[in-house]
Amino acid sequence: MLSKLRTLCLKGIDGFQVNAEVYIAAGLPAYVVVGLPDAAVKEAKDRVVAAVRNSGFDFPSKRITVNLAPAEIKKAGTHFDLPIALGVLAASGKLGKKPPAALEDTFFIGELALDGALRPVAGVLPMLLALKELGKTAVVPAGNSAEAAVSGIKCLSAASLKEVADWLTGAAELKPCAAQENKPAAGAPAGDFSEVKGQPFAKRALEIAAAGFHNIILVGPPGAGKSMLARRFGALLPSMNFDEALETTKLYSVSGLGLAGRLVRERPFREPHHTISDAALIGGGASPRPGEVSLAHNGVLFLDEFPEFSRPAIEALREPLEAWKVTVSRVKESVAYPARFLLVAAMNPCPCGYLGHPTRDCACTPLQVHKYRAKVSGPILDRIDLQVQLSPVKYADWEAIPRGEPSAVIAARVMKAIEIQRARFKGGHARANAFMAGAELRRHCALPEGASSVLETAMNKLGFSARSLDKILKISRTIADLEGAAAIKREHVIEAVQYRMLDKSSVPTFGGI
Amino acid sequence: MGVSAEAEKLARVRLNFFACYKSDWLLRLIDLYGGAAELLKRPPAEIAAEGGVMPETAERLAAQTGAADPEKELLAAEKAGVAVLTVLDEGYPELLKKIYDPPLVIYLRGEFKPVPAAAIVGTRKATPYGLRTAGRLAGELAAAGVAVVSGLARGVDTAAHQAAVAAGGETWAALGAGLNVIYPPENRKLADKIVEKGGAVLSEFPLDQGPLPQNFPRRNRIISGLSLATVVVEGGFQSGALITARFALDQGREVLAVPGPVDSPMSRGPNYFIKNGAYPAENAEDIIACFPSEYLFGLRPAKAEAAIGPSEAALRNLSPDALEAYKAIAGDEGGLNADEITARLAWQVQRAAAALFELETTSLVLSRNGRYNKAY
Repeated sequence: MLSKLRTLCLKGIDGFQVNAEVYIAAGLPAYVVVGLPDAAVKEAKDRVVAAVRNSGFDFPSKRITVNLAPAEIKKAGTHFDLPIALGVLAASGKLGKKPPAALEDTFFIGELALDGALRPVAGVLPMLLALKELGKTAVVPAGNSAEAAVSGIKCLSAASLKEVADWLTGAAELKPCAAQENKPAAGAPAGDFSEVKGQPFAKRALEIAAAGFHNIILVGPPGAGKSMLARRFGALLPSMNFDEALETTKLYSVSGLGLAGRLVRERPFREPHHTISDAALIGGGASPRPGEVSLAHNGVLFLDEFPEFSRPAIEALREPLEAWKVTVSRVKESVAYPARFLLVAAMNPCPCGYLGHPTRDCACTPLQVHKYRAKVSGPILDRIDLQVQLSPVKYADWEAIPRGEPSAVIAARVMKAIEIQRARFKGGHARANAFMAGAELRRHCALPEGASSVLETAMNKLGFSARSLDKILKISRTIADLEGAAAIKREHVIEAVQYRMLDKSSVPTFGGI
Repeated sequence: MGVSAEAEKLARVRLNFFACYKSDWLLRLIDLYGGAAELLKRPPAEIAAEGGVMPETAERLAAQTGAADPEKELLAAEKAGVAVLTVLDEGYPELLKKIYDPPLVIYLRGEFKPVPAAAIVGTRKATPYGLRTAGRLAGELAAAGVAVVSGLARGVDTAAHQAAVAAGGETWAALGAGLNVIYPPENRKLADKIVEKGGAVLSEFPLDQGPLPQNFPRRNRIISGLSLATVVVEGGFQSGALITARFALDQGREVLAVPGPVDSPMSRGPNYFIKNGAYPAENAEDIIACFPSEYLFGLRPAKAEAAIGPSEAALRNLSPDALEAYKAIAGDEGGLNADEITARLAWQVQRAAAALFELETTSLVLSRNGRYNKAY
C-alpha cells in the first residue's frame, strides 16, 4: 500500500513544502528512507517504531520505503517523525480502508517520543510561513502551539500520535493553536541610562549611534562602564515593527531558541564571549545554523574585549557588516541568514588597560599599544563610524554627578531623528545615515561655509586621515538630524570630530607635527 | 703614506662595522698606525702586541671588519640620500671633532646648518610638565636661531623635536640605531619631517644596525658633543638624560637643568644637577646666556617674560567657552579628559566638544590618550 502526506522543511530561514511518501511492500522486513535525509531523519525509524507500537498500533513487519520529495534537497530535523508515522499507519490501513481526505490536505510537523507523545521542534514559525498563501491547515506539537499561532496560519495542536490518528479517523477533535499573551522574556531587566553616572560623551555617542544606525566602538579602561552602557543601549532603539519582529522570531525559531512560543518584540541583544569560534559567530556547521550575528538581526551585537576575538572571527564580520546577511555555503546547499545588526564593540585602550587613566600608570610601550589596536583590522574599523573614549569616574566626582537622562527621553529624540531619515531615504538604497555612500553622501551632507575648514584643520592638526572624513560627515548628518536641523552646521562637524578618537595620532603631537 | 683619501674613508667605514662598547681605543690605534687603512693591513697579533689590545679583541676586530662590505654600504647610503662623513671630510661638525672620542663615521640625512646648537634631553616617561617645558624651550630656542639637538626617543626628546619643527627652526636628532632602522618606529614620520624642514638626522651606526641597548648611552656623547649646552628637562637617577649631561661636563660644555616639582620622581635628576651647580633653565634666554660669546652673533632670543604661558593675544582670541575650558585644564596638573571637563563646567557635550576642538587646533592644549593638558 502507498500513502502520501505533506510536511515542511527548512532551508536557511525559509520553509518549503515536502511530500512524504510511504510504501509498504511484501518482503523481508526493512526500512529505508530516501530523499537526502540527514542523520536525525534516518533515526526517525527507531522513534517511529516505538511510538507506533506504544500508541496501540501494530508496526508492520514488511518492507517499508519512505521517500521525501523533492528528493534533491537535503532534509534535516526531527519533525519528520510525525508524517512518517502517519504514513506508515495509513499505508498499513490502520486509519481506515481508504486514507482519510484530511491526510493529503494537511501539513504535519512533529517529533515523536518513544511513548507516542509529540515533542516540540525548532523552526515551526518559518516552516508554517511557507503556507501563507495556501490556506491549508497544519498540525503541530502542543509545545509549538503558541509559536504556530504567531504565523497566522490555521493550525491544530496535538499532544500525541494517538490524538492525531483519532482526529484523522474522525474519532476526536484537535485544539486550534492559540496565541499566548505577549509577556516580555524572562531575565534581568536591561536597566536604564539614568543609572549610568558620568560618561557624557559615551552616552551622547550611543544616542547618535542609535539615531543613525552607526556602529560604535567604546574604548576605555576596565571598570569604566563599557558593558553597563552597552547593555542599556537597546532601550534607545525604536521597537521593532511586525515584519522585523517576525524576521527575528524566525531566526530564533530556526535556532531552537523560539520555544518560549511568542513573537520576539524587543530588539535582540547578543553578547557572545570573545572565545567564540568564527562559525558560531557568523553561522555555519555541517547542517547550517544561524550564528550570533543573525541572532542579533534587527538588534544589537555587543562584542566586549573586541581585539581578543580571534582574527578569523573579526574578519568574518566583514560580510554581515557590508551585506547585512551571512551566506553559508556547503557542498549540497547554500543558505543565507539575514544579519542586520548594530555593532557595539568595546576594547581597552592598550593591553594593560590603563592608557590615559586619570590615576594609574600604563605599563605599555607605544609599540605594544599599536600592535594591540592593529588586531582590529582596518576594513573592520572602517565599518565602525563612532569611536569614543570612556574613563572611570573618580570617586570624588561620584556624588557630585547628577543622574543622567532616562532612556525614554533619549529614545524620543532618537525616534525623531529616525523619522527624518525615513523621509530622506524614501525609496533610496540607504535606510539610515550610516549607510550613505557616494552620491547620496554628497547630496545629503553638503557642508556650509566655514565647516570644511574644520575638516581641513582636523586633518592637518589632529592627524586625521582622509578616510575618516566620510565618517565625520555621516556622524555630522545624524547630529543635525537629532537637532532637527535641515542643513549640517559647523558645530555639528566639530562635535563629530570628537567621536573619532582612534583616528588621532597615538603619538602625542605638538602643533600638528 | 701612499693611501688615497678615498681608500682611507672606505677603511674607516669598514672599521666602523666593528661592534664595540666604546670606540676611543680604535681612534688611538688609527693614530698609532697613521690611518685606518694602515691599521686594517696589520695582522691581529701585531695589533695586539703593539697596540696594547687583548689578542682575542684583535682577532674579533680582524674578523668583523673583514666581513664588512664598505663599498656596498656607501652605495646603499648614496641611494638612500644619506651622506657618510668621517673627521677627514668637510661638513663633519667642528664641535663634534673637538670631543674626546668623535664618531669614526657619521651617517647623515639632511644637513648641519652653521648655527649654534643646544641639546634638550630628558626621560622617556615624562610628565605633562616635562613635555610642555621641553616643547616650550625647544620652540623658543628654534625661534631664536639655535639648533635643538636631541635623540628622537619617546617623551622629552620627541616633544623637543616636534616643537622645534613647529617653530620652523633647526633640529638635529642623533640616533642609537642605523638610519634605515629609525627607532622608536612611531617617530619615523617625525624623522622625515625634521629632514624636510632642513634639520638633520644622524647616526654613527651602520645603516642597518638595529636598536641595541648598549648603543644608546654611547650616542648620547654625540648629542652633547654637537651642542654648546645641554639642558636636562626631566629624569630619574637612572635616566639616560643624566648620562648625556655627564658627557657634556666631560666635554667641557655647559649643563643646565629645568627645576622640577620636588615631589615628582622625574625631577630628581635635574634638581640634583642644580644642587651641584648647574644653571637652572627657565627659558631660552637662560640657555643662550651660557653660550660662549663668539656664538651669540645673529641669535634672536625672545624676551624672558613673554615666555611663560601662552601669549596674551592667543588667549584673547579664544571664544569665552574655550577660555573657560582652558582655565579648567590649566588648573589641573594631571590634565583632564573630555568627560571631566564636561562635568566640571556642567556643560552639554556639544559645548565641551566645540571648546576642546578650538583649544586643540590652536595648540593651546595637547591631547594624549584622551587627556588634555596645557601646552605651555
